[in-house]
Amino acid sequence: MTLVLSILLVITSVLLLVLILMHKGKGGGLSDMFGGGMTASVGGSSVAERNLDRLTVAVGLVWFACIVALGLIL
Amino acid sequence: MLRVFVQAFRTPDLRQKLLFMLGIIVLFRLGSNLPTPNVDVEAVQICSDQALEEEGFGLYGLLNLFTGGALLNLAIFALGIIPYITSAIIFQLLTVVIPKLETLKKEGPSGQAQITQYTRYLTIGLALLQATTLVTLAESGQFFPGCPQEIVADNSVGSLALMVLVMTSGTALVMWMGELISDRGVGNGMSLLIFTQIVASVPGMFWNIQLTRGWGIFALVLAVALVVVALIVYVELSQRRIPVQYAKRMVGRRMYGGSSTYIPLKINQAGVIPVIFASSLLYVPMLWAQFNQESAWAAWVAEHFQRGDHPIYLAFYFLLIVGFAFFYVSITFNPKDVSDNMKRYGGFVPGIRAGRPTEEYLTYILNRITSAGAIYLGLVALLPLMAFNIINPGMGMAFSNTFGGTSILIMVGVGLQTVQQIEGQLQQRNYEGFLK
Repeated sequence: MTLVLSILLVITSVLLLVLILMHKGKGGGLSDMFGGGMTASVGGSSVAERNLDRLTVAVGLVWFACIVALGLIL
Repeated sequence: MLRVFVQAFRTPDLRQKLLFMLGIIVLFRLGSNLPTPNVDVEAVQICSDQALEEEGFGLYGLLNLFTGGALLNLAIFALGIIPYITSAIIFQLLTVVIPKLETLKKEGPSGQAQITQYTRYLTIGLALLQATTLVTLAESGQFFPGCPQEIVADNSVGSLALMVLVMTSGTALVMWMGELISDRGVGNGMSLLIFTQIVASVPGMFWNIQLTRGWGIFALVLAVALVVVALIVYVELSQRRIPVQYAKRMVGRRMYGGSSTYIPLKINQAGVIPVIFASSLLYVPMLWAQFNQESAWAAWVAEHFQRGDHPIYLAFYFLLIVGFAFFYVSITFNPKDVSDNMKRYGGFVPGIRAGRPTEEYLTYILNRITSAGAIYLGLVALLPLMAFNIINPGMGMAFSNTFGGTSILIMVGVGLQTVQQIEGQLQQRNYEGFLK
């Protein structure tokens, strides 16, 4: 059981990393502190972007669940 | 103040943003308390309690505060947003040095987005590096020196690699959360996340004082903290107004312009960012020293930097804050752009010619104001720390860090910024209401 969870955790961790890096850093974080607020979010997010969001959230949930489960087993 | 919040929750658009932000913050706190797999929770608890009471936990203490205790708990978000901040600093400094990045930056929003993307990649790299360091230290027992407990349950390479991986993707998740807040919530995600972590540890620390020192000292500390907060709010809100007069012009049959306004120059134009940057940058030598602990350099770092109240450390801190304040202001406010814009629309500062003289005038004023602002930032960050050390040495570094200027500055600064943004958004919606 631990082994299965660990493998699942490895897979979801890597997936999560890749998915988050695929997002466009939308005026994200510090660089928008730096830019001086010029990054007005033009238009809504595209369909692809929204799907990416959903996928990331789903993977994130599985990742979270894995960690909790592993913590409970140990 | 309260009225603003009530109104904000009545506005559907803003309510959604606020709730979204709160939701993310809850998730973030949850992750900051969830231990990484393969960590022996009880052992970590014992060791971290011991470490918090000990002296000499200086820089780690501040770092622990920035991560809301997640670092010492070896949580999945143990690294917090520090890798992102470090990587942002590195790229901001590199744009000055590397021509390719500079051209990217001049390209405008698309180039800026590209730089943000690079920053995110570097964040993951740094997170991997720091997570590895952290796990190695935890495994070899050096993370809590003087604590005999085994904090890692399974010492095999696979399990350790898993821990590193989990912490790295946790950092990526934190980064994404910050971006989501900036994008769909209110305020700047990164600074809000740091704010959350600091605010999360403050009440506990306050109560701790009452428990260990009694009501007298508790009241004293509370009073000092309130006075400092009031002073900070006062300075943060003060600004110099440079008058600008616009010439009248006729376009067709209508008259335009002729109004007089002002350019507001805040005393502390840079906000809290220099403080955040300086404290994250001071962590780097510590990190470096961890890698080769035997060298003379590491010993020097341990002696002067680890305690957090050594004069050399304080001097470094002060200089870094002042430096970053100037650096940041020079990035955000460009006198040349401002004076060009004014010239284009027929504006001028009374008594000074448009164009180059105006630019020079603005630069002159900006430099003088920033000097005052930077020194203020540095002093506020340091003074409470020194005062507490003189009044009552041996209060413990965890204490000084919590009530030192750095954390108060960040709390007040980010809080003010966020409230101002909420107010701004409210005005957008209720403008007719004000006119009636």
